[in-house]
Amino acid sequence: MHAAPIPAVLLLATTHLIRLAPIDIAILLFYFAMVIFIGFYVKGSTNTSEQFFLAGREMTAWVAGLSFVSANLGALELMGWAGSAYQYGILATHWYWIGAIPAMLFLSIVMMPFYYISKTHSVPGYLQLRFGERARGLSGVCFAFMTLLMAGVDMYAMAVVMRVVLGWNINFSMWVSAITVAIYVMLGGLRSAIINEVLQFVLIWAGAMLIPILGLIEAGGWHKLMAQISQRMGSQYTHLWSTTGSFAANPMGVHWTGLVFGLGFVISFGYWTTDFLVVQRVLSANSLRSARMAPIIGSAFKMFVPFFVILPGLLALVLLKDPSGHLMHLYPDGSPEVLHQGAHSFNEVLPLMMVRYLGPGLLGLGITALIAGFMSGMAGNVSAFSTVWTYDIYRAYIKKKAADAHYVLMGRWSTIIGMAIAIGTAYLVRHSASIMDYVQELFSFFIAPLFGTVILGMLWKRATKAGGFWGLLTGTVASVAMWEMVRLNKANIRFMILQPHASADTILRVQAMAANLYRAAWAWLICVAVTVVVSYCTKPTPEAQLNGLVYGCTVLPSDGATKLYEKPIFWAIVVVTVLFILNLWLW
Amino acid sequence: MTTTPPVDPSTEKKFSIWFFVGVLVLACGAVILAQGIYEFWHPGTTVLANLHPAFWWGLLMTAFGLFYTIHFRPGKG
Repeated sequence: MHAAPIPAVLLLATTHLIRLAPIDIAILLFYFAMVIFIGFYVKGSTNTSEQFFLAGREMTAWVAGLSFVSANLGALELMGWAGSAYQYGILATHWYWIGAIPAMLFLSIVMMPFYYISKTHSVPGYLQLRFGERARGLSGVCFAFMTLLMAGVDMYAMAVVMRVVLGWNINFSMWVSAITVAIYVMLGGLRSAIINEVLQFVLIWAGAMLIPILGLIEAGGWHKLMAQISQRMGSQYTHLWSTTGSFAANPMGVHWTGLVFGLGFVISFGYWTTDFLVVQRVLSANSLRSARMAPIIGSAFKMFVPFFVILPGLLALVLLKDPSGHLMHLYPDGSPEVLHQGAHSFNEVLPLMMVRYLGPGLLGLGITALIAGFMSGMAGNVSAFSTVWTYDIYRAYIKKKAADAHYVLMGRWSTIIGMAIAIGTAYLVRHSASIMDYVQELFSFFIAPLFGTVILGMLWKRATKAGGFWGLLTGTVASVAMWEMVRLNKANIRFMILQPHASADTILRVQAMAANLYRAAWAWLICVAVTVVVSYCTKPTPEAQLNGLVYGCTVLPSDGATKLYEKPIFWAIVVVTVLFILNLWLW
Repeated sequence: MTTTPPVDPSTEKKFSIWFFVGVLVLACGAVILAQGIYEFWHPGTTVLANLHPAFWWGLLMTAFGLFYTIHFRPGKG
């Protein structure tokens, strides 16, 4: 679910797109002052481990829900998907709709009760309760490692974007953002991170909404926009599903099976239901009902994110003009036009649209929203790392019995050390940009099989500890192996898409994004198959030990909802209905 | 690890998250609104600047921020 990597051209850029006015800088400075103030302010109420790592489990459904969706709304995500919309057309919307909404609702209705009533503090913590120490150890170490790498990638990405967009020095951007994030997370833990994520959410909506509004006015409305895109790019850019019957009929080279099973099921469910970075936000809710409502609230907002992420990319296809008044053409990263002729790349489409419509003040708001998004991504990774390190590694394997205050102190120190490692990662990425691509791939290696393990753990009481561990390990290794197989020879992708006789043209058309969907689906299937086989070969876990962890062995407590409008399932149905209508509309 | 000792009232949080949201939006909105008013006499050069987006967006944000700041101000209720 992470955004496209930083384009090579950004590393070579010597000019910048935007010049900030004093009024823009004032807005930016006010934001920085506010987040630092919040860190110092909430420090006083983060004295226990529960308060530091889980925000005291006292967040309302709205706060947890906005934080939940905001943790995924980073700046790299916004810029990357706006660029993808320019490149692939409206197909990019799938990553926000079928690639997010069903999974968020599933988390709410099916999985949240188990996370919540088991009183686990993390996803590896749930694996420990269900599958034992080995599964917890494997997932904890992988997750801690990945979050630090991702924090470093976020940091470097922000520094590069700030250099290209604003002309800022890379070292300056990295250190200022790292120190700011380290201060507010170290002081206020998850509570501080959540407050800042809510602020970031509001900033992004306020800063980005104006672009599609003005764009639609300039284009003459939605229908005229679609007509212009069809005329310039072809109708495949304006349809969600009707062109996915074959790999060759759409710009992404994706088939609907990949979208439904790879994206809509495995990747999306893996990310939204087992990635601790987002699940941690919901675990901070103050009641079971809040915890179930939070993902639903998040999904309702998520459904409308394409309005200010995808739509600017589509608008740019027909409205973005160069200084001579001709339609501007954007190119893939690393293309000769970008590298040698000074053309802009796909991923620069959002800043270009900002420059087009936003003057002083509004531009400062938009840039502040982007920076807030980057910092929020870093803070999310670091706060999740701090929790998993302290609970699932340090307390589990290094110091099992210590005072609560000791673990809080470890949480604060691990935030600082984690951020220092992330800075090191950022410099490592700076010297080898391809590392960033690998890091983002690595993250996906682990998430798809993890979802297989967690979902079997929750829904199938026959799954055993050995089954869970070996399924997770095999699925992860298989995912890495498939990735390496395609990296060595792209033609091998034909086995992953089950078309061993695919033509060279078809293979060429299958983009990396589409390949990820199939790799994830296979990794999940392998994980599930191994878990099932090993479980049947090993002794079942007594049902008494599965109470509170597995369907069929647990009496779920009431969430206190009595009226129809209080029930999470009612709102989930409302969201699904709207999602269905939107998909039909853009079919 | 999970026991929560009583929180010292002097350090317990007093500001709602929504108050912070209100202050941030109000501050940004007021600055943008001021810029929008200035642009009535010194028009901007961006596309559709004639619609005065800074003024209208700043006005909307100021109203939203003001409402949240007042509604969720510390000590209310």
